[in-house]
Amino acid sequence: MKCSICQREALHNGFCELHAKAYENIVKKYEFWKKALNISWKEYLREVAKNPFTGEWAKEVAEHLIKTSGEQSGT
Amino acid sequence: MERYTLIITEKPDAAYRIASALDLNGKAKKVEDNGVPYYVAERDKPIVVVPAIGHLYTVAEENIGRNYYPVFNFRWVPRYIAERGAKQIRVWLETISKLAQGADTYIDACDYDIEGSIIGYCILKYACGGKENVARRMKYSTLTKEELEQAYEKPLPKLDFALIEAGRTRHEVDWLYGVNLTRALTLAAKDWSGKYATLSTGRVQGPTLRFLVAREKAIRSFVPTPYWEIKAEIEIDGKIFEAEYERDVIETKGEVEAVLSACKGNDGIVESIEEKRFQQMPPTPFDIGALQSEAYSLFGYTPRRTLDIAQRLYLDALISYPRTSSQKLPPAINYEGILKSLSAVPEYNQFAAELLAKKELKPNEGKKEDPAHPAIYPTGNLPERILEEPERRIWDLVVRRFMAVFGEPAIRQSVKVCVNVNGHRFILRGRQTIKEGWLRFYEPYVRAEEVLLPRIEKGQQLRIVRVISEDKFTKPPPRYNPGSLLRKMEEVGIGTKATRADIIQTLYDRKYVRDERMVVTDLGFEVLEVLKRHCPTIVSIKLTRNLEERMDKIQANLEKRENVLSDVIEILKPVVEELKSKEKIIGEQLSKAVRKARLEERIIGQCPICGTGTLMVLYSRKTGKRFIGCTNYFKKQCNAAFPLPQRGFVRPLGKKCPKCGWPTVHIRIKGKRPWNLCFNPGCPSKEDRT
Repeated sequence: MKCSICQREALHNGFCELHAKAYENIVKKYEFWKKALNISWKEYLREVAKNPFTGEWAKEVAEHLIKTSGEQSGT
Repeated sequence: MERYTLIITEKPDAAYRIASALDLNGKAKKVEDNGVPYYVAERDKPIVVVPAIGHLYTVAEENIGRNYYPVFNFRWVPRYIAERGAKQIRVWLETISKLAQGADTYIDACDYDIEGSIIGYCILKYACGGKENVARRMKYSTLTKEELEQAYEKPLPKLDFALIEAGRTRHEVDWLYGVNLTRALTLAAKDWSGKYATLSTGRVQGPTLRFLVAREKAIRSFVPTPYWEIKAEIEIDGKIFEAEYERDVIETKGEVEAVLSACKGNDGIVESIEEKRFQQMPPTPFDIGALQSEAYSLFGYTPRRTLDIAQRLYLDALISYPRTSSQKLPPAINYEGILKSLSAVPEYNQFAAELLAKKELKPNEGKKEDPAHPAIYPTGNLPERILEEPERRIWDLVVRRFMAVFGEPAIRQSVKVCVNVNGHRFILRGRQTIKEGWLRFYEPYVRAEEVLLPRIEKGQQLRIVRVISEDKFTKPPPRYNPGSLLRKMEEVGIGTKATRADIIQTLYDRKYVRDERMVVTDLGFEVLEVLKRHCPTIVSIKLTRNLEERMDKIQANLEKRENVLSDVIEILKPVVEELKSKEKIIGEQLSKAVRKARLEERIIGQCPICGTGTLMVLYSRKTGKRFIGCTNYFKKQCNAAFPLPQRGFVRPLGKKCPKCGWPTVHIRIKGKRPWNLCFNPGCPSKEDRT
C-alpha cells in the first residue's frame, strides 16, 4: 500500500515512515493546543496547516486530514 | 654542478619561500624543467628546492577497471595512473627523479602534518629511489625567514614514521570505504537505469549526511505549540523601559488574560535590586575549526573558503600554519617581536603598544593541543602585495584575535530590578561594561550589549504605561549551515581538521544538500535510506569515531596499521555483499531519486503567463537548444518561451525578481563571474540598465 500523501510505501495509519512521524507529532501536540486555546481537533488542524513554523510533512498531513475530515486517532 | 641538498616542499609557493629564505643573498634562482619550477639557492653548499603540487601519489586498486566491487587489494601509485586529468603529474615526477639523482642529502620540508608527511614520504620513497630512510625533516609552523633558517640548520634526524603510518592508514581506510560503497551505489543505479551519476558515500560522509537527515526530518515533521510572553512598559524619569514577566513562557491563553487583567491600572513597586559583577575572559587563540566558525558567522565564508584563504595567507608568510587543532601559543613564537612588527600598521599601533607596555604577556590559552603546530597566529610580517578583500578580512581577524588573547578580562555589570505589579513580578534588566579589557582589541568582531538603567531605589513607585502579551509559537530546530555542521563533526569526533571542509563540500557537489542553510534533497534522503536499511554500520557515528581513535593511536605507536586495515575489511565485506545482493532494489530506489533530482533542478517556478503550467528548462525538438518554457508549451496551450545561454549551468534561484515578481535563475559559465538572471523581457530592471 502507498502512503496517502506521497508515493512511498505506507507503514502506519496509511502513511509512510516520514508522514507517519509527522502524524504522530500532530496527535501528540493537540493536547498542548487544547489546553492553551481550548480548540477543537478540526480548528487545531486548520491552525497547524497555516502556521509558518509547521514542517512541510506535518502541513501535508494536516491538510490531508482536513480534506478527509480525519478524526484524531484513538478518539 | 656539485652535489647538492634536495629539499622537497608541498607547494610551489612554499618552495619559493624556503629557497629565498635559505639563499645567502635572499635571491634564489628559479629554473624550469618541462614546465616544472624549482629553485636553486646558495648557502654552505648548493640547495635545490623542488615543490610537489599536493599529493603526487594515491591509493589505487591493483587491477585495472572501475566497474566492479568489492575491491580490497590496493597499492600506492602515481596519481596519473589512477586519475583522469592528472597527466601533468608524470612530468612533475620525472623532474623530481632527475633532480634526486644529483643530490647527496635529502630533506622533507612538506607541511608538518599527516598529509604533508605522506606527500614527502611518497616522493622520497618512490620518486627519489628509496631515500625515505636517509632523509631529514624540516619542521616549521611559519614561512618566515628566521623560522625556516632554524628549521634548516636543525632538522629532525629522520621522518616521523608514526605520523606517516597513521596517514597511510587513513588514506587506505578511506579509499576502501569510498571505492566499495560509492561503486556499489553508483553501479546499482547505472545498471537499473542505464544512466551514470556518481553516488558517493564514505567513512565520514555517511555519518555526516545522517546528522543532516535527522535534523531535516525533525524540521519537516515539526508541529509548533502556542505560548505567550508578557511584557510591561514602565516609565522611569520620563523614559519607557521594557520589563519581562517573571515567567518566560505562559502556556495558556486563560493565564495570560488573568495576568493582564490583574495588572490593569496598577502602578509597580520596586521590590528588589540585584547587582552582579562578572568577568568575561578573553577568547582562546584560533584553531582551524574556531577560525572557520568565526569567519562563517562574521563574513559568511564557508569552511572550505576560509581554509583556502588561510592557506594563501600562510604561503605569504603572514600567518602560521592554519591546519592546526591547537589552542596554545608557546612563548617561543616571540609574542613581543610579533607585536612590535604589527605596530607598524596604523590600525594596530595603539593596541600593540598597550600590550607591549604590560609587565608580562600571557595568552589565554584553550585546552586543545596539537603536537605538530601551535594555534594560528600572525607572523608579524606585513603584506608584500595588496590583499584581496577576503584575505584582508581573515588576516585582520587573526591579528585582532591574537592581540585579544593577551588582553585583560573585561568586567561587566548586570542589574536585575524586580517590580511588583499587584502581585505579579516583572524584571527590568540592565547591562554595562565597567572595564573593556580585551573587548577593545577584538572590535569590530565583538560587541558588548549595553542597557543602561536610570537610578532606581527599593520601594520606589513606578508608573506602568501598559502590560502587553505577545503570541508566540515554538520553533523547529535550526538547519545546519556549513559552520555549525563543521562544529558538530568536531564535537562528535569524526573527520579531521584537514578533511571536514571537503566532506561538507562533497555533500553539496553530489547534490545531497542545497542552500546555505542546508536542506537535504530527496537524493540525500534516498542515499541515507539505502545505507541505513542495508548497511547501518556504515552510517554509525560510534563506529566512525572508534576508527578515528584507532587511527590516532597509530600516530602514538599504540596501534598497528595492519590490524586496523584487516578490521576495516572485515566490516566492509558483509556490507558490500548485502549491497550486491540487493542491487536491483537499491538501483531502482536510487535511480528514481536521481531522476527526480534532475527534474527538480530544471523546474524554475509557476508560469506567470498562463498561470497553470510550470516554467522549466526545456530543449527545442528542432534544434536541441535549451530555453525556459512552460510545461504547456509543447501542448500549444501556452507560448511562454525565453532564451537562455547555451553554455554553463542554470539553476533555479527559488527567489522572485524584486522588480517584476517573476521567478529567477542563477547562471554559472566557466571563466565568467556567475550571475542571477530575471528572464522576463519586460522586467523594469532591464529598463534601468538602458
